[in-house]
Amino acid sequence: MLRFIIRRLIITIPTILVVISITWGLIRLAPGNFYTGEKAIPKAIETNIREQYGLDKPWYVQYGRTMGRILRLDFGTSLTYTGQSVNVIIGRSLPVSATIGILAYLLALGVGVTVGSIAALKQNSKWDYGSMALAMLGISIPNFVLGPILVLFFSMTLYWLPPSRWEGFASRNLILPVVTLSALYMAYIARLTRAGMLEVLRSDYIRTARAKGLSETQVLIRHALRGGLLPVVSFTGPALAFLLTGTVVVERLFVLPGLGNYFIQAAVNRDEPLILGIVAFIAITLLLMNLVVDIAYAYIDPRIRY
Amino acid sequence: MSEDQPIIPGDHDKPEPGLTPEPAPDYREGDVIHTAPEFAVADADVLAPERGDMVGGTSLWRDSWRRLLRNKLAVFGLIVVVLVTLASLAGPYVIERLTGHAPDYIPPNAALIKSFPPFTNPEGSFSWTHPMGTDKQGRDLLGLVLQGGQISLMVGVISTLMSLIIGVSYGAIAGYLGGRIDNIMMRLVDVLYAVPYIVLVIVLLSMFKSQTARGQLILLFVALGAVSWLTMARIVRGQVLSLKNQEFVMAAKATGVSTPRIIFRHIVPNTLGPVIVYATLTIPTVMLTEAFLSYLGFGVQPPLASWGSLASEGIQNIAIFPWQLICPGVTMAVTLFALNFLGDGLRDALDPQTSRQ
Repeated sequence: MLRFIIRRLIITIPTILVVISITWGLIRLAPGNFYTGEKAIPKAIETNIREQYGLDKPWYVQYGRTMGRILRLDFGTSLTYTGQSVNVIIGRSLPVSATIGILAYLLALGVGVTVGSIAALKQNSKWDYGSMALAMLGISIPNFVLGPILVLFFSMTLYWLPPSRWEGFASRNLILPVVTLSALYMAYIARLTRAGMLEVLRSDYIRTARAKGLSETQVLIRHALRGGLLPVVSFTGPALAFLLTGTVVVERLFVLPGLGNYFIQAAVNRDEPLILGIVAFIAITLLLMNLVVDIAYAYIDPRIRY
Repeated sequence: MSEDQPIIPGDHDKPEPGLTPEPAPDYREGDVIHTAPEFAVADADVLAPERGDMVGGTSLWRDSWRRLLRNKLAVFGLIVVVLVTLASLAGPYVIERLTGHAPDYIPPNAALIKSFPPFTNPEGSFSWTHPMGTDKQGRDLLGLVLQGGQISLMVGVISTLMSLIIGVSYGAIAGYLGGRIDNIMMRLVDVLYAVPYIVLVIVLLSMFKSQTARGQLILLFVALGAVSWLTMARIVRGQVLSLKNQEFVMAAKATGVSTPRIIFRHIVPNTLGPVIVYATLTIPTVMLTEAFLSYLGFGVQPPLASWGSLASEGIQNIAIFPWQLICPGVTMAVTLFALNFLGDGLRDALDPQTSRQ
């Protein structure tokens, strides 16, 4: 196990560096510069800007400096939010994204596993077809269409929930963003649970469990769910990636000051330190989480040996 | 093509030797189409009870087609996809013919016109002129949605084709060559899997934002195609690994067929089943990603429009003109819904072994 973790870390670190290098390369290869705008700036000012940001040095010196700073986890100062360090911006926006993401994932897990198990237990019934059609719908509706429709219905027609804005971690403002974000996972998890459970319910050890006289609830909860949920566990890795794209949309839709919103702003404004910082942060988080998921997988499924 | 004929032993082409001769095959003489043995086994399992009334060989494709037609949801998906595609292709011309204006025609008194809800005319009474209403510039939304369908479907199909070409070649080469090369190539795929590609796509599209709508569209094809080939490569590699030691490959090798030719003319055609299934499921994913990027402003640029960019324009006026979001959004959702069902159905039909999952 330890060897596996070390081996994974050995490929994880170069991957992170490659992602950051590609991002840096894309920003630098693109025509223009962050200070070029509609209006031409005087030569002297341009020289000063280039000197200030080290742009007068050869590219490998700039690359080396940037990577050196990133390796020390110092992402520099934002160009658009003047005077604010990227670390501070990430530290401020991460809790927002993380709250929405975690709540959405928990909601999706709860509803998805329940619905998927019911569909599997009553295979080919009305419940099964209905819930699976609904799940397919969840996969097919873009979340930026679903979100506004929910707002239209719950905020503008029924006046039940506030339509947007961030008002702290425990507020009703979170309900609509979380539901919008979790719809896609909910659908995926329900489908995966159903497939996993169908496979498991046919297996010998479930028959044995029933044969030795366990109650149906015991069979389900202690035996079937454990095996049936393996596909759901392995989905956690991809889910994190989905969560990422999802939060970008949801944060924009509901005007929430999260990481995704800052990232889009940074990309539009060509705010190099902020882009690199957020990309590096996302890459590190995703890869480490994937590692954790793989380890968790080995604990749940004793058949897996690394 | 025909130069292969003398050197390829053709026996394995015929699906069921010994049964009554098949009617004219739907492939040309000399085309190399093998029925993969694992499919043949699966076919036999499925067909066993029907042997009595099914005298005569059936090809993998005909069998799969019958299985597909038996799946109601897949047939529904197929019909919807065909209808939406035809409507998107022909619709704008029909509208131009009927109204005398291009589908994205802006009425001259646009400043005075407000948006009309579906099925209403400027006087506020029922009319057929704008079945989906109009957008904020007074343009007919149905025409825009149909035109947008062309772009959305084009992005879906072309990007999927790109991922298909990259993924199939990559996977086939890795699987066939095997050994160290395979190891290095697949490690690279593992590494790329972990990359948060959507972030890179956003950086790419925002940094290289093209001045022309067409340029941005091409950039979008490349970006989406370049990031969606990984799973395809894995699937094809797995297939190739199980195919490469079979007799027909050995026969080809023994008769001196070159390695690239073996890979692309003999092995790749046999992986088509899973490839088609996965490609069908890639199209909706790519279309969703396109819509997502268009919503963020990095995707399709005006004057071109896709369902995603139409819907994202509609969001701005959601409180007053909800149909401007709902019409393109629902059209898109229905199409993706149908494509997903079609893909699921194809998987069940082409690959009976995995259909239980």
